[in-house]
Amino acid sequence: MSETAMELIDVKKNIGNKNIINGLSFSIHKGEVFGFIGPNGAGKTTTIRMMVGLMKITSGDVRILGQSVKSDFKDAISEVGAIVENPEMYPFMTGWQNLKHYARMMPGVTKERISEIVQLVGLEKPINDKVGKYSLGMRQRLGIAQALLHKPSVLILDEPTNGLDPAGIREIRQYIRKLAEQEHVAVIISSHLLSEIEQMCDRIGLIKNGEMIATQDVGAATKQTTSSEVIIEAEPANDAMEILKNEFNLSVSSSGNTLTIQTQRDAIPSIVQTFVQHDIQLFQISMTSSTLEDKFFELIGENTIE
Amino acid sequence: MSNFLQLLVNEQVKLYIRKSTWIMYILLGVIVIGLALLASFEAEQTEKYQSDNWRQTLKDENAEIKEQMKEDDIMHDFSTNQIEKNNFYLDNGIQPRSYDAWQFVLEHKFLLSLVSLFTIIVASGIIANEFKWGTIKLLLIRPITRTTILASKYVSVLLFALFTLLFLLIFSWLVGALLFGVNGMDPQMVLNQTGEFTQVSIINQMAEGYGLQLITLVMMATLAFMISAIFRQSSLAIGIAIFLMLSGSPIVSFLSEYSWAKYILFANTNMDQYINGSPLFEGMSLGFSIIVLAVYYVIFIAVTWTFFTKRDVAGH
Repeated sequence: MSETAMELIDVKKNIGNKNIINGLSFSIHKGEVFGFIGPNGAGKTTTIRMMVGLMKITSGDVRILGQSVKSDFKDAISEVGAIVENPEMYPFMTGWQNLKHYARMMPGVTKERISEIVQLVGLEKPINDKVGKYSLGMRQRLGIAQALLHKPSVLILDEPTNGLDPAGIREIRQYIRKLAEQEHVAVIISSHLLSEIEQMCDRIGLIKNGEMIATQDVGAATKQTTSSEVIIEAEPANDAMEILKNEFNLSVSSSGNTLTIQTQRDAIPSIVQTFVQHDIQLFQISMTSSTLEDKFFELIGENTIE
Repeated sequence: MSNFLQLLVNEQVKLYIRKSTWIMYILLGVIVIGLALLASFEAEQTEKYQSDNWRQTLKDENAEIKEQMKEDDIMHDFSTNQIEKNNFYLDNGIQPRSYDAWQFVLEHKFLLSLVSLFTIIVASGIIANEFKWGTIKLLLIRPITRTTILASKYVSVLLFALFTLLFLLIFSWLVGALLFGVNGMDPQMVLNQTGEFTQVSIINQMAEGYGLQLITLVMMATLAFMISAIFRQSSLAIGIAIFLMLSGSPIVSFLSEYSWAKYILFANTNMDQYINGSPLFEGMSLGFSIIVLAVYYVIFIAVTWTFFTKRDVAGH
């Protein structure tokens, strides 16, 4: 499982005198879904463009299954499927014609494979319509279809759920998980929706000013011990507030039956237990913001998410 | 190689699937039909020579022209030319042929400049449009080098020019054949070549007339292709290429007092100067022009290649 699918080795990018990317090094394993987040202008898109050879790497290297994008471009890129920014297709051709077009550029993509992919992304009905008439969601699906045609080992998706309805997002999310778990495809996703990344990814990399400032296992993030905001709906609220203040030494803000506190995740079970002992009816207890989001803001320092 | 063929198929599909390409062909077709209808007037004029007493008809015509010249000689050159031509027919015992499809095609060789125009439009768009549509990103992340993709696009432009040229030739010949008929498969005509009338093969004339224009076509299409690779924008490429195509000769004559003007591209694209005329500048020869054209061509291709393969594809 931990075989490396893609590796970035001290990747740097200068445009003029400006250092856009300052030495990025990380690797993505087979079967792993890697989330790539950072504020506007952090260098996410530049990094993705260097991964697929659209931009030259100033120094360092990107290796895909050990093949260098710099020196073995053809071998390296044949293992990659990608959507870079928006899924732009030829608007005057049908979905099928678009896929056929890309299939001609890659070895071994049969007609059956195209049908299979069309079915997979659920585009059977509109596949013979012109892409110009497609909604953004449909184009997103077609984009994913073209990226998967040649069964790549590495899938790079820029904002893959952008423009999809909730059902579509769920579907794509499940499909990406399936690809990673069953086909051991390494998936790299950039997204501005943190909750989305949290639900889809195994690991997250935060990038700021062209540097990777943190990588984080998603599982670990939710288990960690830093405190975060917890909302409790309980009755009677006053008694509950007293208990939280006296027994747990927490500051509480309330509105109606809803109380808000700052505490660690580990403290929640004992709070619940104490409430039960005191005959307080508990309707709901939840952590409002994800710990990941807190960590994100902590690291980024401002709320300028793309 | 099969890889390259597949890329060519892709480029041709993308070209011919669009209505704008078909509009070019329709336009060309409509213009040919229109010109054919106009030419039927001219065709009627040759009818009078088709009887057995065509010699008398020619003599009568000469007399008539002379009569007219006495009254009013503003058309002196045209009139004397016509008399000489008629005399050539009489002296050599050649009966003037009726107007036919071959002559129609030859006479309208200027339509090739429309083919040039369309080729420039296609050459300007074939790279720039991929950038406009954003599809360049998906095109370049395939296991194919940028050089191969560029080559497939360039060859596609030349193929388009070839198909359009064939369409023009075949379609105008068919329209001509339908309206005027065909005088055999090796048609001859009498032409004033460098001051003397001679009988020449129309097919040779066609090859020469169309062939020489192809030089300009290829050079301008390559120029447009280059500009579109540099600026990634089609309108600029179309504008510059068409402007230069139209203003090429005026530019050369404007700069004709300088000796370096003979190195200008447009001083060399017109090969007719070596066949039916005299060179524009002293020291110019067919070999000279071929070398100048080759140098320009290599520069165009090298610049195009450098810009297309070396430059980053950044945000749009």
